[in-house]
Amino acid sequence: MNTHFRSRTARGVAVVSALALTLTACGREGGGGGGGGGGSASPGITDDSVTLGVTTPLSGATAGPGTCTVAGVKAYFGAKNAEGGVEFGDGKTRTVDIRALDDTYDPQQAKANYDQLKNDVFAMTAGLGTPTNRAWRDAAIADEVPQVLIMTGDPLFSDTEESPWQLGFVPIYQNEGEAFGELLATSSEEHKVAILSQNDDYGEGYVEGFKSAIEGADNIEIVDELTYEATDTSVDAQITELASSGADIFFNAMSVTPLMIASLQKAQQLNWKPSWFLPSNTSSPGAILEPGGAAAYPGIYSVSFAKAPQSPAFAQDEDVVEYLAALKEHGDYPDPPAFPHCQWSWMIGATLEQAFGEMTEPTRENFMEALRSIEDFQAPLMLEGTAVNTSEEGQPAVSTLNVQKFNGKGYDTVESFG
Amino acid sequence: MGTFIQLVIDGLSTGSVYAALALAIVLVHSATGLINFAQGGMAVLAAYFAWYLTNQGVPLIVAILLSIVFSFALGAVVERWLMRRFERGDPDTAVVVTIGLLTLITGIAGWLWTYNNQQFPSLFPLDTVSFLGVSVSIRSIGTTVVIVVAMVLLQALFVGTKLGLALRAVAINPQSAAFSGLPVGRLLMVGWGLAAVLGAVAGALVAPQLTLTPGMLDNALVYALAAVILGGLTSPVGVVVAAWIIGILENLAAVYVPFIGHDLKIAVPFILLFVVLIVRPQGLFGRKTVVRV
Amino acid sequence: MASASSLSTSSRSAAAPAAAAPSFRQRRWVRMAAPLVLALVLAVLPLVLPEFANETIARIGVFAVAVLGLNVVMGYTGQVSLGQIFFLGVGAYVTAYGVQNDWNIVLVFVLACLIPAVAGLIVALAAARLGGLAIAMVTVALPIVGVPLAKRLSEFTGGSQGLSARFADNPEWTGLYDDQWQLYIVLVIGGIVFLLTRYLVRGKYGRAFAIVKGNENVASSMGISPYRYKVLAFTIASLIGGVSGFLYMLVVQYTSPETMSFGHSIELLAAMVIGGAGSIVGSILGGAWYVLVPQLTNAVDASLTALLQGAVLLLVLFVLPGGLASLPRALTRGRRRSGADRGVGAPPTTPSSTAGSGTAAEGSERERQGPA
Repeated sequence: MNTHFRSRTARGVAVVSALALTLTACGREGGGGGGGGGGSASPGITDDSVTLGVTTPLSGATAGPGTCTVAGVKAYFGAKNAEGGVEFGDGKTRTVDIRALDDTYDPQQAKANYDQLKNDVFAMTAGLGTPTNRAWRDAAIADEVPQVLIMTGDPLFSDTEESPWQLGFVPIYQNEGEAFGELLATSSEEHKVAILSQNDDYGEGYVEGFKSAIEGADNIEIVDELTYEATDTSVDAQITELASSGADIFFNAMSVTPLMIASLQKAQQLNWKPSWFLPSNTSSPGAILEPGGAAAYPGIYSVSFAKAPQSPAFAQDEDVVEYLAALKEHGDYPDPPAFPHCQWSWMIGATLEQAFGEMTEPTRENFMEALRSIEDFQAPLMLEGTAVNTSEEGQPAVSTLNVQKFNGKGYDTVESFG
Repeated sequence: MGTFIQLVIDGLSTGSVYAALALAIVLVHSATGLINFAQGGMAVLAAYFAWYLTNQGVPLIVAILLSIVFSFALGAVVERWLMRRFERGDPDTAVVVTIGLLTLITGIAGWLWTYNNQQFPSLFPLDTVSFLGVSVSIRSIGTTVVIVVAMVLLQALFVGTKLGLALRAVAINPQSAAFSGLPVGRLLMVGWGLAAVLGAVAGALVAPQLTLTPGMLDNALVYALAAVILGGLTSPVGVVVAAWIIGILENLAAVYVPFIGHDLKIAVPFILLFVVLIVRPQGLFGRKTVVRV
Repeated sequence: MASASSLSTSSRSAAAPAAAAPSFRQRRWVRMAAPLVLALVLAVLPLVLPEFANETIARIGVFAVAVLGLNVVMGYTGQVSLGQIFFLGVGAYVTAYGVQNDWNIVLVFVLACLIPAVAGLIVALAAARLGGLAIAMVTVALPIVGVPLAKRLSEFTGGSQGLSARFADNPEWTGLYDDQWQLYIVLVIGGIVFLLTRYLVRGKYGRAFAIVKGNENVASSMGISPYRYKVLAFTIASLIGGVSGFLYMLVVQYTSPETMSFGHSIELLAAMVIGGAGSIVGSILGGAWYVLVPQLTNAVDASLTALLQGAVLLLVLFVLPGGLASLPRALTRGRRRSGADRGVGAPPTTPSSTAGSGTAAEGSERERQGPA
């Protein structure tokens, strides 16, 4: 494992010490806490390049969305680098390199990846997962390394008091649940709601937001509420139990693609045809609704801030065409992705470029300041009515959402239920 | 009452998924005395193979048959060129080799076909049949029927054929099997090949439901292992029945025992397993044999 | 670090074909001085190595201890356990909870050892009645049920968001960096655990474990209760697992239900076998494997980690079925047989031919590896 352990003669020790002293000289210089403010450049940035780090699952059960979180941002900056680079606020043009490491959704590995990257990269970004990002949040604060525009809806990362060096990208889970709850509360009819949620902060966040929005609305009653585990192979039992509740609204906070397809199929088999609410990451028309046979239901609602490339409405959209071409050429991602994380990651690239454009000094502090002052930025692929806003206290970079209804092929934005 | 019966039916169809994989594990164990963690991985590879062929315009049933042939070869090759080096050594090492194989196969599948969820066409339509207020899809019925047929064939193989007898003889004592003139090496290759065939059938049956991903059968593996032990390592009928019991009890416990709920229902098969093993160490249907492990 | 003699074999045989090697190794002053030198090197290393190297070695220490625990029950006593990660998880949770509630750190450490040990004892009292694969299945249940249980007990565990706890900021007087201080703690605690375990497995208990592993009927006839020793081994393994959980919190500073997922338990098992089952050095090598291989495959190509890890694992076991710790033995034998082709193992159709051609060294190897 390590040659030093094997050297046990006196000469060995001498050699080791000499070698190690040299290592220290280089090792400790680069280390320390992230640039200490002002003047001198932070690690990971030179006059002509900047390096960003990503730790995200690239193998294992969450590799599908995980791969996307890297592909999008890689494609974005790959295309920019091919044009010469990104212009920074200090007048210099830099190419942007992405160093992505696989953490297999293991918190311990995520921390190890962070330790490996922290002195070589300028900032950490785009990584997927609540536990994997939480694992090194404290360390990033202590080392003053930016951990920004990450893909978790955990509100902790958007609390500037608690997390001065962090910023989430996607809306917190509560926001998504709340958006649908608000829409439902405006309905003129009586509704019975059945809830199924993933047994973790993801599912809890959705349900919490939904419940807070329908509080006081006396036309809505929650008739049954169940959970499932992300590792389950089947949710048939839950769907059967919920179907017997006779609800006409099914709020399904589920993040697992095959289970979402299976639930859409199962409810039909039981002849239970409620209106559905689906989270933003499991509502893809091509990958989920079509195989699930969603056309059989009176309404499929979801929330989104990104254009769905599979949707025919956006097939000729300039943003979408450019994005899919770059994803193929620079993102190492040949097929159109089944996960929205690719789009989100592309937007992260654009948001980072926006922040770079405002940076006057090549330091992490200055970058955080620039990043936190983006207002009403319409990133490519964003839907009308949504925007990146980083200065809102307690909110991630994107906090505005459109509620949408499935029209058989893609989604339309809706203002009212029904 | 309608809900109760529906839950039982749901449990049967979920249990069939576990059973499909469990049968393949039993076959390898019967022939080699090993638990093959890579069984699910090999099944996924076969499913990708069939999926790839259908995308090239090959009809589904032909694609599945070709993937079965491919699997037999894969199983035999894995036995001859990889497992044979470990078969007579420490069984723990051999098990870890199958774990390594699982990792490798998952990695290859992810590399060749990405971690995107792929839609695998179903052999059976998704239409439903209703009776007694219970609805069940043709797909579930079809899956269950194929599993039962596989189980009967496997049981017949073990009990009624020379090949089955020879396979078991090899597992129990390879040396004396060799001395009595059995071609042990070839028998082991056939055993692994047949197990991979069962795996391929399982893969094609469950892929439409679970959608095709490199880790498609990882979560089912644990249940399949529980079914294998619960049913007794030697009995195909035993493991299928055990898989069904697991599927049904899990559902009923989740719905009717509030303390367990849907989050802790996974504990149910293990509690059951534990109680059964204390009373009957050889499992529900197993014979008392000398196990190599 | 404990088994100095076999370590020096490896460096010797790897370095040169020096004929004087054995006599040098056997000299008394070398045997006396070796542990001292090793201790000195370990004391100096954290001061001189770069930050990331220290963090990596500390992480290796954490998982080496976890693998050591698994080795006690599996490598030495022959009981398959697929649940070791559960005890690491319990130890980590106890530590995090204690630290968050400002308990005395020594008390926290003691509890992080005792609670997993008691949990292990309870499981073992029931499970040790079973043998073979049955005990493996019961232990599978621990991480499988442990994950949802940890979420259910969110009052203590923080649910799926997990618990963070930093308690290893170095005291002012040391003048050390955090990574150095943490590595020292890992080295001291890990070193003590390794030394104690070494005494355990080389003494009376170790011999009893080996007999139980070899043949339970023989053990009974010798007056050694297989049941009692299985329970003992399992409990000690759980206790060591708890220690590794404490160290995990020290180094990683965060735990969540993901920490104890079944997949990691399988990876620990693989690390143990690759390091070398029933070997102290093998446990260290196993810990190094657990930490370094993902790091290495990430460096080669982060999008192919699974493929590379599987391939490396198969390759290593194909060359060294006895694990990395058997490398010196394999080298010695290789030299003695001067390039005799080992190739792909001879097909088992001809058992008599291989048995006849084996040298003395291979004979003993075969015996060690034979069905236990």
